[in-house]
Amino acid sequence: MRMLAVFEKGERIRHIGHLDIQRSVQRGLRRSGLPVAYSNGFNPHILVTFASALSTGACGKREIMDVTMAEEVSEDIFLEAMNRAMPQEMQLSEARGVDRKHPSLPPLLRAARYDLLIREEKYAGKLIEAIPAMMARETIPAMRKTKTALKECDIKPLIYELKGAGKHIDALLVLTEREACKPGMLMEALCREAGIEEEVRVLITREALLGENAEGQLVPLESL
Amino acid sequence: MICYMNDRFERALEKVQKAPRYTGGEMNTTVKKWEDCPLHFGFCFPDTYEIGMSHLGLKILYGLINRESWSLCERFFMPWTDMMALMKEEDIPLLSMESRHPLNTFDVIGFTLQYEMSYSNILAMLQMGGVPIEGKDRGENDPIVVAGGPCAYNPEPLADFIDAFMIGDGEEVMIELNRVILERKEEGLSRAVCLKKLAGLKGVYVPSLYRVSYHNDGTVESVEPTCPEAPVSVVKRVVTDLNSTYYPEKFPVPYTEVVFDRIMLEIMRGCTRGCRFCQAGILYRPVRERSLMKLVDLAEKLQAATGYEEISLSSLSSGDYSCLPELIRELMKRMKEKRVSISLPSLRIDSVLKESLEETQQVRKTSLTFAPEAGTQRMRDVINKGVTEEDLLEKVRDAFEGGWSSVKLYFMSGLPTETTEDLDGIADLAQKVVAEYFNVPKAQRAKGLRVTVSTSVFVPKPFTPFQWAAQDTIETVLEKQEHLKQVLNIKGVTFHWHEPYVSFLEACFARGDRRMGAVLKKAYEKGCVLDGWNETFRFDTWMEAFRECGLDPAFYANRERAKDEVLPWDHIDSGVTKQFLWHEKEKSDRTETTKDCRKGCNGCGLQRWKGVCAYANAGGV
Repeated sequence: MRMLAVFEKGERIRHIGHLDIQRSVQRGLRRSGLPVAYSNGFNPHILVTFASALSTGACGKREIMDVTMAEEVSEDIFLEAMNRAMPQEMQLSEARGVDRKHPSLPPLLRAARYDLLIREEKYAGKLIEAIPAMMARETIPAMRKTKTALKECDIKPLIYELKGAGKHIDALLVLTEREACKPGMLMEALCREAGIEEEVRVLITREALLGENAEGQLVPLESL
Repeated sequence: MICYMNDRFERALEKVQKAPRYTGGEMNTTVKKWEDCPLHFGFCFPDTYEIGMSHLGLKILYGLINRESWSLCERFFMPWTDMMALMKEEDIPLLSMESRHPLNTFDVIGFTLQYEMSYSNILAMLQMGGVPIEGKDRGENDPIVVAGGPCAYNPEPLADFIDAFMIGDGEEVMIELNRVILERKEEGLSRAVCLKKLAGLKGVYVPSLYRVSYHNDGTVESVEPTCPEAPVSVVKRVVTDLNSTYYPEKFPVPYTEVVFDRIMLEIMRGCTRGCRFCQAGILYRPVRERSLMKLVDLAEKLQAATGYEEISLSSLSSGDYSCLPELIRELMKRMKEKRVSISLPSLRIDSVLKESLEETQQVRKTSLTFAPEAGTQRMRDVINKGVTEEDLLEKVRDAFEGGWSSVKLYFMSGLPTETTEDLDGIADLAQKVVAEYFNVPKAQRAKGLRVTVSTSVFVPKPFTPFQWAAQDTIETVLEKQEHLKQVLNIKGVTFHWHEPYVSFLEACFARGDRRMGAVLKKAYEKGCVLDGWNETFRFDTWMEAFRECGLDPAFYANRERAKDEVLPWDHIDSGVTKQFLWHEKEKSDRTETTKDCRKGCNGCGLQRWKGVCAYANAGGV
C-alpha cells in the first residue's frame, strides 16, 4: 500500500530547501519504526516522493508526501507514529492509505493556493488596490526564470483567483508539471501595477495543492 | 516560545546564504521554558553551525545540562561573515538557536576549545552577544564565561577572556560548576566570590587568581596563585567509569547536511599507543572502555531517536577496543534490517581485522584511511608510531583484495629530526601502495585506483614529548613541500598538503603564554575572524598584530625549549608527569620506541588514579 500524508513546513524552517526536507522526511520515517519499503540497490533509500517541491523561503500548510509501505498500516497508526518522529515544524495532519497502483500525484497537480503576507504594511493597501486593475488587463507580462535565462511570459491565464484584504493576498495559481505561476512572478507584476519600485517583502505560505476531479472542480490533491 | 524573533532578524535571514544555520527547530533539540529554569547555560561552539553540530562534546553537554530540572542549555554558533555584517548593520545581537535569547542574558557562557584557530571567534561571539570581551571588564550583571576541551590544557593565551577553565572530562565538573553559578544567582554572590568558589572546584582553573612573571628573555619565571582558594596545580578531571557516565540517548538532527551527519558512538576514551606527537593521546588517558552491552543498547536507542543511516565508532584508536569484532558483528546484526551502516573512522593500520573489514563492507563501501604519519621506519620510531611498512602494505593488500580501490594515507611533515630521506620515504610508501593494487589480479580488484596522500605540518603541542621542540620555519616547510610535490608525482597518487601559515599561527597559540592574549585581541580588532577557513584567514594581519604587541611569533613556534624552562602550562596537571614526557623526549632523541601500555605500564603518571587505568602498575617504571 501507499500512504498519502499531508504535512506542514513551518515558518521557522521555511529557509530549508526541498532536498533537506526530503532527507528530513526520510529520517522521520526511519525514526517512526513504521514498515516502510526500501529501494533495492547499493544505497537503499525509503520509497517516498513528494507531490511538489516547495521553494526555499516558503512555508507550507498542506504539503504532500507519498510513502510506499512494506505492510498494511492503518492511517491512525501512521499519523501517530510519524507525529512522534517528526519535529514540531513538520507535523502531519492527515493520512490516506491508497492502493499501490493509485496514480502518482505530480501529473495530477493542477493548482496551488497561496497566502501572501505583505511584511511592509505601508505597501499593503496599494498592492491590494492594484489587483482589480491588473486582472482587468488582457495580458499580464512577467519574467519566468528558466535554467539558463529569464523569459517573458503571460501569467494572466495562470491566475485562477486573486483577492486581498488587510495585509494578505489570497492567490489561486496554476501549478502543473509543465507550467506554473510562482508567487514571486505574481508579486513582481502586482508591484509594477501598483507603481512600487522597491522590493516588497512577502511571507509566502502554500495553503493547498489541488487537482481536478471528474466534474472539473479543483479539489485537494490527496483526495483524488 | 520564541521571545526574540524580531523583524530585523527575519530580514537578515532572508538575505544570508544558508539561513538554516541560524534558525534551529531541529529534531531532538530541547526548548525549555525560560522562566521555569533558574540557570541558563549558553553553549558556544566557536565555529560555524556545520562544524559545531558535528561535535560529540556538544551533544553530550547539551543533553547533560538539559537533563537537570534546574538548568537549560541553548546553542550558539559563529555566524558566517555575511550574517555578521548584517547583524552589525541591523544591530542584532548573537541569539541562541533555541529561544533566540541574546548571549548576554545567559548566566553561564561555555566555549568548547577544539582548535586554536577558533580563538578569534570567541572574541567575536562575546562582542556580538553584548558580553565584555575581557574578564576584567565584566560586571556583576554579566555572565560568567567558561571554557573546556583539549585546548583548555594550555589556557594561558585565553586567560584575559575566559573567567574559568574546566580541565579534563567535562561530565561531572560541568554540573558542579553550574551549581556554583546558580548559587551566585540565587544568593547574590559577588562575581569575585563566585570566581573564588569556582577555583575551589577540582579541575577548575580561574586565571585571574594567578600571577605570571617573566624572565628578561621572555620565558616564564613563575605562575603563582594569589589567593588560598586557587590551587598551585590544577589537576584534570577524570571520569572513572564510562558505563555509568552520562551519554545522550538522542542527538539533535540537523535539517541541513553537517560535516559528521551520523551517530557517533564513543566506544572508549584514551589511547595506549603513546605516539609522541599526539596531544589527545596524553590528555584523554587513561584508556576507559564502554561495555559491549552498553554500546549496543546506546546504538539502538540513538538509531531509533535520530533515524541516522550510519553509525561511526568513535575513539582515538577504535581498532584497540578489546572486543571490536564482537561489537561490530553485534551491531551489524541488529542494524542490517534498518539499513544502517557501521563505519570505523580512525582505523589504525596495525589493528584492523580482515574479518571486520569484510563485515563493514556488507552494507556500504567507503574509502579506507591509514595514518602511517611518517615515511621511514626511523622517523616512525622517533615519533613512536608503532607501525611497520609490512603492516601497512598487508592491510592495504587486504583492502584491495576485498574490493576497495580508494585509499587515503596521512602523513606529517616537519617532525623533529626529519630529513630529505624521510620525505622520500613518503613517496616510496605511496609507490608501494600503488604496486600492491596492481599485484591483485585484474578480475579480482575494483576499478579506479585512487591513492590520496595528505601531509600536514607538524605542530608541537603542550603535554607531549615534543612540547620542547621547535617547529620548522615557514621557509623550511615550503621547501619540503616543493620536494614532496616532485617526488609524489606518481600515477594514481593525488597529493594534498596544508598551507604552513595556519600551522605556524596554531603553533604560537598552542604553546603561547598569557601575553598572546594581547595579540589575539589586536588581531581581532583588526578584523581577524574565522581563521580556520582559507577564505577568511589573514596571515599578514596576524603578523602585524604580533609586531604591534612587540612579540615575536618565532619565539613561540620555532624555538626549542630547555629542560628546566617553566612552560606556560606547567601549573596544569594533565595526569601525565613532565618527567615522563622528558624521558620520552630523550628516548625519541635516541630513536628508541616505547611499548604500548597494554604490554606493561610505562609509568606515565596515571597510576595516581587507582584502579582507573587498567594497565597501571602502582610501582611505575
